[in-house]
Amino acid sequence: MTLELSGVRKAYGQFDFGPVDLTVEEEVLAVLGPSGSGKTTLLSLIAGIVAPDSGSIRLDGRELVGLPLEDRRVGMVFQEGALFPHMTARENIAYAATASDRVDELATLLELGDVLDRTPPTLSGGERQRVALARTLATDPDVLLLDEPLSSLDAPIRKRLRDELHGLFESIEIPTLYVTHDQRTATALGDRIAIVRDGDLEQVGSPSTVLTRPTSRFVARFTGNENLFDGTVIDRTTDGATVRLGERDLQCRTTASDIHTSTVTVCIHPSRVGIEAPCAADGDRTANTVTGTVTRWLNEGSEYRIDIEIEAGPITLAANVRPPTFERLALENGSEVRVVIAQDSIHLIPGREE
Amino acid sequence: MATGSHPNRSGTGTFGFDWLSVALVLGGVLLLYYVVPLVSLFLSVPAGEVLARMNDPTVVDSATTSLLSASISTVVATLFGLPLAYWLARTDGAVTKVVLAVVVLPLVLPPTVGGIVLLTVFGPTSPLGEAAIAAGVPLTRSLAGVVLAQTFVASPFVVVTAKAAFESVDQTLEYASRSLGKSRWTTARNVTLPLAGPGILAGITLAFARAIGEFGATMMLAYYPRTMPVQIWVAFIELGLDTAYPVAILLVLIAAAALLILNTVATNPWE
Repeated sequence: MTLELSGVRKAYGQFDFGPVDLTVEEEVLAVLGPSGSGKTTLLSLIAGIVAPDSGSIRLDGRELVGLPLEDRRVGMVFQEGALFPHMTARENIAYAATASDRVDELATLLELGDVLDRTPPTLSGGERQRVALARTLATDPDVLLLDEPLSSLDAPIRKRLRDELHGLFESIEIPTLYVTHDQRTATALGDRIAIVRDGDLEQVGSPSTVLTRPTSRFVARFTGNENLFDGTVIDRTTDGATVRLGERDLQCRTTASDIHTSTVTVCIHPSRVGIEAPCAADGDRTANTVTGTVTRWLNEGSEYRIDIEIEAGPITLAANVRPPTFERLALENGSEVRVVIAQDSIHLIPGREE
Repeated sequence: MATGSHPNRSGTGTFGFDWLSVALVLGGVLLLYYVVPLVSLFLSVPAGEVLARMNDPTVVDSATTSLLSASISTVVATLFGLPLAYWLARTDGAVTKVVLAVVVLPLVLPPTVGGIVLLTVFGPTSPLGEAAIAAGVPLTRSLAGVVLAQTFVASPFVVVTAKAAFESVDQTLEYASRSLGKSRWTTARNVTLPLAGPGILAGITLAFARAIGEFGATMMLAYYPRTMPVQIWVAFIELGLDTAYPVAILLVLIAAAALLILNTVATNPWE
């Protein structure tokens, strides 16, 4: 199964969605973007709840635009589950099921045995979402759409259900679009991630590409990278470039075609910023090293977030540091540190605009 | 400044005077005003005498006419009103507002004016009325006339109440049903109607209660066959108050039954 959107456009008053071109194979595409960016519109267009102004949506060559939603074979799991409140969990699933043994099969798969005879208002948020998922899967859809199914759940349940979904997605081989505004959920569940901004697809790629090679400042910022600086390319080689950042020259590895302008945004993911004691021996000799001073630190639980003011250059760099490193270096405000940034940890985005 | 005699902020002053008591007294008077005449009606005539007069042909005939015509009117109002109510509930815009205003018009129009309006279309001198008489189904002074009058006045209750009931059903549930491969009709039958059911039943009950009590428009369109309200008026004018009691008591009982339905199986729209 292949889902193909081409030139799909929809205008709502001030908001313009598209034109969007997108191909989804038998994979999970995580659709990530801020609220109001058009994520739900994308799903509504594919499901048939909203008709596009123009463009085509094909499923294995079959045109879906113009078909009523009941004839599309597109399954959708709604944000709050949208379970029928006057039916028990079992009746909800049976209503959709194509064969009667599907109910028990899905109940086993999604561990719903205990709640089948209860009505939606008595179910917890996590149970509701599992029933909603079972109900959608009971129709054996050709495409699966999920609209922020975990957003209303508490953190521990969200994490558990996310792990369960990960396993489930491995077993179903249909194009799946998973809408979320949470970067962690997107990277955990998506084979690819599509970043949506103001009704357009800003970047589509594998989670690691989107995280480490953002194509715009927006993507970088939205995926948790705040180290974005104005830089100037002053020299290029076949597989690298020298970029001037403040009064520092940094070496970075890049393909020349990436950088077609000399004014660039220098992008360094906080998790790729190495922190060492000021007197530490050189490890990677090709890496960029600068010295700096810790100006602020924040314990974020599984890691520390520290701000380092870089010597010779009015630049503050954010870095993620694992607790063992933080404790070994006895970091505190005012600590002198050596900052090590590998050449391939520096990513350049052409231009400086948001 | 002497402030001792002023009521304080909670309304309780030196005279033990507070607003809650005032509300209770005023409201109580109003409640008595509703209940006392009803009780008085039942006390005015000995129960045995009322029961004996229930067999009077005029009482039986008018009750039959009323129950039959109100039932037909309610069915017609439901058949034509539910789709309109659904459309109103699921559409927004200027057209919707205009349509809703038209629907509410019979509710605010004096019933006798409603009767006059209907006579201009269905009256014996109108083209439609003449054609109907020629075909042997006169639209005035007939059961058809009663039904026309009652439907005009009562059907807005179905539309307005059912509209609110449909609006209370989350449209996402309908999308969910259809995305599961169910047609619009299957979705309506299994999702929308069951969820809106109690509200729709309230609308149907209100329409029936209004139809059975209809007097003004019915008088204009169909003095015969006499419905219960018309019979009450005729009895009162010709023979005095006493003879109007049995039918009035019947109507009170029907109203009570409607209230019972509203407060049990239906969703009381005013709660």
